Amino acid sequence: MDERELTARAKLGDEAAERALYDAHVDRVYWLAYRMSGRHDLAQDLTQDVFIRAFGRIGDYRGDAPFGAWLHAITTSVVLNGLRKVKRFDQREAVLEEAAMVTSPTRQAEPDLKERLAQAIEALPEGCRVTFLMHDVEGFTHEEIGAALGTTAGTSKAQLSRARAKLRIALQDFAGEWVQ
Amino acid sequence: MSDNRPDDDILDERIRVLAAARYNAPEGSVPRDAMWAQIAAARRAARAATPIDAPTREAGVVPLTPRRRSRTAVAGWSALLAAGLVLGVLLEREVFDDREQGPPVAVVTPRSDPTPSTTPTDTSITDGVPGATQPDRVSSPSAPAPAPAPAPRVRDQIAPRPPQYAQRTEPRDLDALPDSTLQSFYHTAAVQTLVQAEALLTSYRGTEGTTRDPQALRDAARWARDVLSSTRLLMDSPAGRDPQLRMLFTDLELILAQIVQLSGTTLEARERELIDRAMRERDLLPRLRSAVPAGQAAS
Repeated sequence: MDERELTARAKLGDEAAERALYDAHVDRVYWLAYRMSGRHDLAQDLTQDVFIRAFGRIGDYRGDAPFGAWLHAITTSVVLNGLRKVKRFDQREAVLEEAAMVTSPTRQAEPDLKERLAQAIEALPEGCRVTFLMHDVEGFTHEEIGAALGTTAGTSKAQLSRARAKLRIALQDFAGEWVQ
Repeated sequence: MSDNRPDDDILDERIRVLAAARYNAPEGSVPRDAMWAQIAAARRAARAATPIDAPTREAGVVPLTPRRRSRTAVAGWSALLAAGLVLGVLLEREVFDDREQGPPVAVVTPRSDPTPSTTPTDTSITDGVPGATQPDRVSSPSAPAPAPAPAPRVRDQIAPRPPQYAQRTEPRDLDALPDSTLQSFYHTAAVQTLVQAEALLTSYRGTEGTTRDPQALRDAARWARDVLSSTRLLMDSPAGRDPQLRMLFTDLELILAQIVQLSGTTLEARERELIDRAMRERDLLPRLRSAVPAGQAAS
């Protein structure tokens, strides 16, 4: 059964068709959510939310683009909104943790490359970060990213270029070694 | 600038490889079945909420759905709360009017019949037990009846008002009521709101067992909005002057404000955790139950 038929049946509420669509796309959705959140529990919640929302609105899917592209637009929207919520929550908790640190200071180890890389990626502006992760890490095309983010492929290219430039600057300590 | 391009490409490639390998790299397997169980449960709940024959559904057609029972329940609770508040206001007015009128006096409605009568034909008692007339205040049977319309109150002519009421220029001023009476009104409204809150929070906790049924959460949020409004009104009322009650209202407001934010999505696991923790830490349900007098919840 092809995807067009599956989506048509899913529109009628066929659970087997929904499951088939889920099986076909869940890995990519989950790993993108995990890449962007870094937490399995959150990636799990986000993935569930993506599919609940997608199947709830499947009547809006017209079929003029691949189902995956439509699904990834929902994925990026759900993941970004979810991460914003979590960020707000974490900021509230961070204040409490900082207060606790005052009484028990700990010596921070020098961050290694992995930490520096993570910091540099997380410091990117949201659009750049998402584009970098989707394109360079998860292998989405600029067209797919443009469709998912509601922009154009050109915008995606520009965002990626900015992201790479910022990362090069952030990781310039390692540049000499890498180039050699 | 252009001579840096080769190096930039090398760096970009190196960063890309590093990021793919080290930045939140996939590890383990995708928990497909666990996630599907949640998704399928949510989908079934959504389908149950819109009971429409699947084959008749068409894309782009918005089906008319019957109102859900849970919504009716919410509306019922809201109506009860509103009725309670209206009753409170009516009681307040009733008592205030009685107070304003002072001691019981007889009111004589002038008769159209010019013949004087020794017994008033339409005598009513404005306060006290009906029929318990006070002869010394009943108007004289020979009192003139100057105008056909509105009935003159005999007390205005004969029985002077007690001084504390005679000075009033705004008869509806709540300040006229003794503090104890006002407190009892607000206390009644407060108890009704607390009963609502207790029922809501009990129902909210009950949704845990239904594995985060999104519709139940959305209903709870709508219900919480109503109770939150009442709570905030009461906090600004004299009922909020009671320190214990105020503290309870403040804690309740915090929890309700969080429940109002729920939209039923699975992303809210942490918010729900926070709400549950706050409810536990503040002993909210036990405090609500102890604040509601026995028998009130059942009524």
